[in-house]
Amino acid sequence: MSEPLLKVRDLQVEFHTDKGVARALDGISFDVMPGETLGIVGESGCGKSVTSLAILGLIPSPPGRIVGGQILFQGQDLLSLSEREMRKVRGRDIAMIFQEPMTALDPVFTIATQMGEVLRRHQGLTRKQARQSAIDWLARVGIPSPERRIDDYPHQLSGGMRQRVMIAMALSCEPKLIIADEPTTALDVTIQAQVLEQIVKLSQDLGTAMMLITHDLGVVAQTCHRACVMYCGKLIEQSATGPLFAAPAHPYTAGLLASVPRIRTQRLDSLPTIAGTVPDLLHLPRGCRFVERCGQAIDLCHSAHPPLQVDEHSGHELACYNPVQGEAR
Amino acid sequence: MLQYTLKKLLAGLPLILGVTFISFVLMVYFGPDKTYELAGKNPTEEQIAQIRADLGYDQPFFKRYTNYVIELATLNFGHSDSTGERVTRLLGRTIPISLALTLPGFVLGNVIGILLALLAAYYRSTWIDKSIMTFAVVGMSVSFLIIIIGFQVMFSSAYGLNMFPVRGWSMDTLGEYLYYVTVPTLAIVFVSLGYNTRFYRAVIVEELGKDHIRTARAYGASARSILLKRVLKNSMIPIITRIMFSIPLVVISGSLLIESYFGIPGVGKVTYDAITTGDQPVLKAVVGATAVLFVVVLIVTDVLYRLFDPRVELK
Amino acid sequence: MSAGESFWSKAWRKFLGDRFGLASAGIVLGYFVIALGVWLDLWGQQWSTLTSGSNLPMSSAHWFGTNLSGQDIFDRAIYSTKTAFEIGLSVAVLSTILGAILGAISGFFAGRWSDEVILWLMGTLDSIPFYLFVAAVAFALQGHPLAMHAAMIATFWTTTARVVRGEVMKLKELEFIEAARAIGVPQHLIIFRHILPNTSHLLLVQATIVFVSAIKSEVILSFLGLGVQDGVSWGLMIAESTQEVIVGQFKNFFAASGMLFVLVMAFNLFSDALQDALDPKKVH
Repeated sequence: MSEPLLKVRDLQVEFHTDKGVARALDGISFDVMPGETLGIVGESGCGKSVTSLAILGLIPSPPGRIVGGQILFQGQDLLSLSEREMRKVRGRDIAMIFQEPMTALDPVFTIATQMGEVLRRHQGLTRKQARQSAIDWLARVGIPSPERRIDDYPHQLSGGMRQRVMIAMALSCEPKLIIADEPTTALDVTIQAQVLEQIVKLSQDLGTAMMLITHDLGVVAQTCHRACVMYCGKLIEQSATGPLFAAPAHPYTAGLLASVPRIRTQRLDSLPTIAGTVPDLLHLPRGCRFVERCGQAIDLCHSAHPPLQVDEHSGHELACYNPVQGEAR
Repeated sequence: MLQYTLKKLLAGLPLILGVTFISFVLMVYFGPDKTYELAGKNPTEEQIAQIRADLGYDQPFFKRYTNYVIELATLNFGHSDSTGERVTRLLGRTIPISLALTLPGFVLGNVIGILLALLAAYYRSTWIDKSIMTFAVVGMSVSFLIIIIGFQVMFSSAYGLNMFPVRGWSMDTLGEYLYYVTVPTLAIVFVSLGYNTRFYRAVIVEELGKDHIRTARAYGASARSILLKRVLKNSMIPIITRIMFSIPLVVISGSLLIESYFGIPGVGKVTYDAITTGDQPVLKAVVGATAVLFVVVLIVTDVLYRLFDPRVELK
Repeated sequence: MSAGESFWSKAWRKFLGDRFGLASAGIVLGYFVIALGVWLDLWGQQWSTLTSGSNLPMSSAHWFGTNLSGQDIFDRAIYSTKTAFEIGLSVAVLSTILGAILGAISGFFAGRWSDEVILWLMGTLDSIPFYLFVAAVAFALQGHPLAMHAAMIATFWTTTARVVRGEVMKLKELEFIEAARAIGVPQHLIIFRHILPNTSHLLLVQATIVFVSAIKSEVILSFLGLGVQDGVSWGLMIAESTQEVIVGQFKNFFAASGMLFVLVMAFNLFSDALQDALDPKKVH
């Protein structure tokens, strides 16, 4: 078995706010294998985006701070690197695709300048070579007449085009890992699937591993080999995608899956939802964070947070004292 | 481009008319009556009538205002009441002096302000930021007059370094220019630095929080490239606005105090003297020139916006 | 309005937690007490009395010595505090009221002719060199002692009006305003009873900024002979002191500029603290 490309161990991130310290990530651990696509799932505010920013060392500070844990990339702890060394990792080894194509690109520089800068910095290309390489990449992500488009400013492109530029930029230095944070959420529904397919196909062609951060379970089912489910800064269940979807063991995962509309089997008006709301990170329950919304909590769930360990019944990595033990649906 | 400029000039007309009208009403129509000052002792009825006619006092309000606008349009303001010099010549002679006096301090005050703001914003909430901002608040709290007097004592008197002249002006050689311009420049830089730093810091802090700055960092851009290239170009609109719109005020108002204190014969001193003696032709010209300058600034600012931000269109 | 109450009590709590804000508010209050004492004839009454000698050193009789004309510097500096507050308060209050009213009308009727007229007036006033405007008002009012106050009020309202205009343009789109309009509340009531009160936090901050500008401008205008006509002010003291510093007498200069600096600094910090407490979006 090969070594993981990325090993995150017991990662802890805190945010200092006016009202107190919020623990946005509380001991997150997971691996990404080379060439693998890992889905990270959860509701907004659960710590998905914080995880991705922490890997690149981009947690806004103040107010954020990484207070513990390790992020091992190809065996090296990224948290121990200097800012200068970290800059070489960003964009070259690990590239990120952001959620908002409208604002993620700089409005006052052309595509050529923005992509060229990255290529020259990381690939050591000349201005001319960088421009040619950028045009090639724009063509590969499906931008028509890239040699003209490259001199456009972001506001001259549609949202979908901008996101393709973002993808081209992410792939252009052929990184080993791509982190895609809700890459299609902000796009028109009609092109979401198209853009997502493009990301997946190109990263597979390049053999690039990918962390796909999303709240959309359908996307995970289609594209990911494995998936992690996060809730309130904790990783609560992790497994290969197939078994996870077939037999979710954590009540939260089960609830999430049940609330996805399935056209053929269910009428939309009877769509089940998870009762209650996500607790505030400043006022977390003492035990399991899901306890107040959980239908099958036992006494233990109120006093201690279950550790993440391999569950005998399902084979998933699971943090639950009283998992769902249903049969495959 | 020509069409655009003409359109903008036309749009600036209400401003010019407004400025000249308000100034005219306050300064000329309700202003001091100079008849008896010019008439000498025991004037006859005819002499008084003659002087009033010369000064245009006998004409109706609207006619007198129209004359002023015509004077402005033809750049013909007549002669100064006190020195007899042609007003246009007087301004042509003194405006360059004021520019030479205020420009170095103005430029330095903005450049240093932007640099300090970049530093403070980048090191936000650290001791670097806190010391820069404390300095800025102190700078904002010292009166320009106190700075001028204090700097004169510190640099130009026997109670201080005694290295620079107490007052006066000369631009004959570079050495002389530097000799006379240094203390005023220091004063201008000091008085503007606090305000500038605070303003620019707020702009830059906001810019640093933008998504595209995070993208740049995620692709390995260095702090220097982010601050000096990305943040600066993205902040150009507020920076240009602040700089451009303070130019007319710095040239006239900023130079007025410093020139009258240091006895420098620039347009500020001329204006101040005209205020104290009620020299209306000069005052009318200064007000008119400032209004025109504002309209020019308006146009240039628009063009500069376009230069730095591709999303801006000239219309 | 319970939402309004909680906003103010929250701001108050935040302000009480701000050490610099509290300290600066204390200093401003101290100055205000000094000014009040002068106004009530409790102290600072000997400011114009000529004593035995000019440029006397500090002594128990003259705590800060005397000036070139032999007047007690300490009493003059104390008396000037009243002058400063008279100018600062009258200009801050009146220009804020003016700015609020015109800004609200301009914002509410944004794009219509009344807005255009007010915008034109603001642009015009901002384009007249300040000292010239003060001189022009002094001409027109024939040297009336309040000419400077009038000139400051007539120009300082524009910044407030721009701030209010922007806020009102946002507020008038809100639901409760739309609702008021829908049920036929008259426009002037909507503007002055429903919209304007919701800008009061901005007006408060803006008033403190104008206060500082007014007392700083007084110093320069008085030095130029366009400012305070009767009584004494820090500006007049500094103007006197220019004759004294050249012979090495700094007491008058230090007394006036020290008093001025501490008040302006305290007011600036107070204004900052107020903004922090009142504006949840302000960047630090």
